[in-house]
Amino acid sequence: MSYKRSRAAYEADLTTQQSPYVFFGTPLPPLDPDVRDDGSYVPIWKQEVRDERGRKRLHGAFTGGFSAGYFNTVGSKEGWMPSTFVSSRTNRRKDDPKSAQQRPEDFMDEEDLADAEEDRRIQTKAAFAGLGSTKNDASRATGLMGLFRATGETMGEKLLKKMGWKEGQGIGPKIRRKARLELRSDSSGPGETYLFAPENVPMISFVRKTDHKGLGYGGHARLTPIGSSNKNNGASHSDDEDDDETMGGFGKPRYTLPTDRKKKKDNKPRGGIGIGILNDTGSDDEDPYEIGPKISYNRVVGGDKKKKKATTTINPAVKAPLFRPSKKTALEKIALGVRKCHDGRLPLDGFVFGKEPDALTSAISSEGKYPPPQVPPGWVSSKKPKSPAGGPAEFVSAADAAKASTLDPKSRAAILGEKQLPGKSVFDFLSPAARERLVAATGRADLPQAKGEVPAEYALSEEERMNELLSRVPKLDKETAVAAISRGVSSGAPYADDEKKRARYIAFLEYQAGFKPTPGTQPPKMNSEDWLRELTEFYNCARIFKPMTGFMASRFTTSSTTKRGSRGEAGQKDILSKPPPKPQDPSEEAAKLGMFGPMTRSVTDFYPTRLLCKRFNVRPPEHVQPDEEHSTKQAPGGSSRFDVYPDQPVFRPEILTTGGGVGISRESSNGEGSGKSTPAPEPAMVIDPSRNEALEGKRAGEDVFKAIFGDSDEDDD
Amino acid sequence: MSEFPTRPVAQLVGSNGPIHALTYSSPPSTYILTGSSDRSIRLYNPTSTTPSPLPNSPPTGRLIQTYTGAHTYEVLSLSVSSLNDRFASSGGDRTVFLWDVTTALPLRRLGSASTAHSHTGRVNAVLFSGHDDSLVISGGHDTTVRIWDVKSNSNKPVQVLSDAKDAITSLAVPQNGNPEVITGSVDGRVRSYDIRMGRCTTDVIGTPVTSLSLSKDGKTVLVGGLDSKMRLFDRRDGTCLKTYEHPGWKNTELRVQSCLGGKERYVVVGDELTSEAAGVTGTTSQEEGKIWAWDLLTGKLVATVPVPWGGDASNKKVTIGRDGKEKARKNVVSCIAWKEGGFGNQFCVGGTSGVVNVYGEL
Repeated sequence: MSYKRSRAAYEADLTTQQSPYVFFGTPLPPLDPDVRDDGSYVPIWKQEVRDERGRKRLHGAFTGGFSAGYFNTVGSKEGWMPSTFVSSRTNRRKDDPKSAQQRPEDFMDEEDLADAEEDRRIQTKAAFAGLGSTKNDASRATGLMGLFRATGETMGEKLLKKMGWKEGQGIGPKIRRKARLELRSDSSGPGETYLFAPENVPMISFVRKTDHKGLGYGGHARLTPIGSSNKNNGASHSDDEDDDETMGGFGKPRYTLPTDRKKKKDNKPRGGIGIGILNDTGSDDEDPYEIGPKISYNRVVGGDKKKKKATTTINPAVKAPLFRPSKKTALEKIALGVRKCHDGRLPLDGFVFGKEPDALTSAISSEGKYPPPQVPPGWVSSKKPKSPAGGPAEFVSAADAAKASTLDPKSRAAILGEKQLPGKSVFDFLSPAARERLVAATGRADLPQAKGEVPAEYALSEEERMNELLSRVPKLDKETAVAAISRGVSSGAPYADDEKKRARYIAFLEYQAGFKPTPGTQPPKMNSEDWLRELTEFYNCARIFKPMTGFMASRFTTSSTTKRGSRGEAGQKDILSKPPPKPQDPSEEAAKLGMFGPMTRSVTDFYPTRLLCKRFNVRPPEHVQPDEEHSTKQAPGGSSRFDVYPDQPVFRPEILTTGGGVGISRESSNGEGSGKSTPAPEPAMVIDPSRNEALEGKRAGEDVFKAIFGDSDEDDD
Repeated sequence: MSEFPTRPVAQLVGSNGPIHALTYSSPPSTYILTGSSDRSIRLYNPTSTTPSPLPNSPPTGRLIQTYTGAHTYEVLSLSVSSLNDRFASSGGDRTVFLWDVTTALPLRRLGSASTAHSHTGRVNAVLFSGHDDSLVISGGHDTTVRIWDVKSNSNKPVQVLSDAKDAITSLAVPQNGNPEVITGSVDGRVRSYDIRMGRCTTDVIGTPVTSLSLSKDGKTVLVGGLDSKMRLFDRRDGTCLKTYEHPGWKNTELRVQSCLGGKERYVVVGDELTSEAAGVTGTTSQEEGKIWAWDLLTGKLVATVPVPWGGDASNKKVTIGRDGKEKARKNVVSCIAWKEGGFGNQFCVGGTSGVVNVYGEL
């Protein structure tokens, strides 16, 4: 009789206590009475959709409003905002140094990213994948010898490729022959000939003879192309070999297979395309074309016959192997640099070429085989070292020997009986500046003193030195020099504040003008460099006095060539060329040279205000600044405006108002010839034709007109 | 005054900081006004002296009046009207004040930061000018020269001369009443504004001009610049008549006033006292300033006069530099004034010591 709790009792149990009747594991906590978790139906409108973080992200049309778009789809509260247009004309995208390259991840959402993350797996690197596999044998086989042997492209190949050689071509000059378009072209007619690269000559490789067959005897040469390695197999295939001899007409290459391969093949007999009657799998031993008695020859003397039985069960399918290495693995192997078989095919899958011993490895490996001859115990060399004194004489390099020697060049010369060189070093002839450079370059401060001597045969006389120096002084044309001299004696000459310098300057000018043979003597305090600098300064100074015609020309800069100095240091300076200095204000330059005077003075117009003039109690200049404020204020008053002109008659403002027309008419009647038609004075006349105060009254002074109507453009300059 | 005086006859003490401006009252030049960096202006009578309490120290002149409460920054320049009833002062607070001498109250403030027409930088120089001293000219760090009308109540300058490309450091007007204004600027130019002709004559000096001193006839001007040279210029054609220099005298950094003195026999200048210059002299101690005097005509150095620190020297010699470290304060002799515009028998110098030394006859 089943006892069933009422639902109310069940629910009460759930809420009050932990799940009853739990024997294993942790019981669930008692239910929260406020939450219905009994799997009862909740209507859809009550269900809430929350995202993985518990946020309410799916909003109804009435509850979500616009924020639905923001929270769920669009990245901003405003929704989709059109990005403001920014011209990329000046700010080109490609010029952007850190233009972000778009990655696939940029277009993936969280889900995609999670998928991508899941797809990543940790796996062993191919090289470690199968420790027993032979896949990478070719690369692994190099092993230690790979260190010694160049793999890949050797330097010789590189050189050949640079000379135009290509893989597969032979080496040597191109030969002229006909093009071989088809392999079996019978047309031997006189075709055109072309230059072709010579054919590759196969390298002759000598096979180390390790068997005991006679010289030149290949054994089962046809069957075992890799003769040496298949020695044993040859014997075991006697049956097949018989067949092969009869079936030579098929022309198929015959392969002998290693025995371990055979077992595999036995389990999985292969059929398929290309297996016809000749290689029927039905009978193993039968040869369908065999006519003669089945005689099995044993071709090796002393080979045992037992093995024959074991190998007779060879699947005939193997006889004519239809093995074709898949393209993929072939490519792989080519990539790995695997050698091909003799016929151009790759070795069978799972097989590795026998390693041909090369010279180096064999020499090392055969060390045990052919040890060098032992030196007899009592043997003594008949040859004796020459120097009996020393023990094993160490090698001493020439430099070390030279270091060990205590002799200096002079004493060596004395020993050798050479004539004494003049006791001078390079430094005796270096200038101090050059030595400074040497010190800076070598970082050694202990270099000998530079003496700057000049060898006697090269020494210049005083005159030559002077000429050499003067040749480096820029030449001033004569008229400029003359002009400079004429300015030099008057006031405002350069170097007014240094009498001696001025005298030197004048002497320099006289020299440049051709009045004197030399520009004076070098001042004792200066060295020649300083003097040269000063003469250049004089030149720059005097250049300012270039006559006016030349001055205009000098506004255009001529192309200049850097003058190479005769000395090395001048050349050094040329390398460190400075940008030409900015053209300075000539007046600043003149001030720097001490040429105060007209050069440094400039006069400009200055427009004092009327009030300023008044406060200084002076008559305003003609081009006085109009001062509206005061003129409007004081014009009605009349007196205060004109009291600065005590000599002028008082001039009524009302006269001025009509006087405007008068002034203009006067100007036009003066015959300026200006085509401008001025408004005729008739209207003023019409107003009061009987009397014109302006004409009948005394005319105001010229200065008044100028002061009021005066234009600085008209009467200035 | 045949010989150049070598010892101070009086000292004017009371300033609580370096003296930036010195001026004699208008002839007969009885009084001395000092503008100090303690924001006050002091009026002294150098002749009525009281013996100094310190031994070996000249007597101190009498402090008559202190004018305070107007300037909020240091006082940089002073000018006394010809009637000695008013004087003008300018300072680092970008304003120019017009003072009444007797009441010690500022009459007017010419421009301040609040009005649109004032200087926008500190005002380096101020000068009475015009007929009946109706104008006050001020030039300052804002490269402008402003001419104020003290007769009207307008707070607008009569004219602003803004030709200079750098700060105006010095101003001069001829004593003979020619309507001219001469300005010296850091851009290395001396500009002479001839109001009568409406011409501005610009002379390029090539080095920042810090001091201008006109001769009495207004025909020559002594220009001091920051190339350790003073030059006497002929104002007519702008030529340099004489250059005054000495290897021991260096002026490359600070404004050091120079003036013509001793009835225009001497060119007198203070000492910037940069370190190498102090090392060269050797005759005085390191911190002691000097006055250098050249003969105007021959250009030869006539005298170097030591300027004692003055006052209670012991506690003032250490100052705190910009880097926050204490350093010995040098007695830079930065301002100088000669009685009666160079024709009196007395002159006074002031500087960083805050004590004005009066030389010559009392």
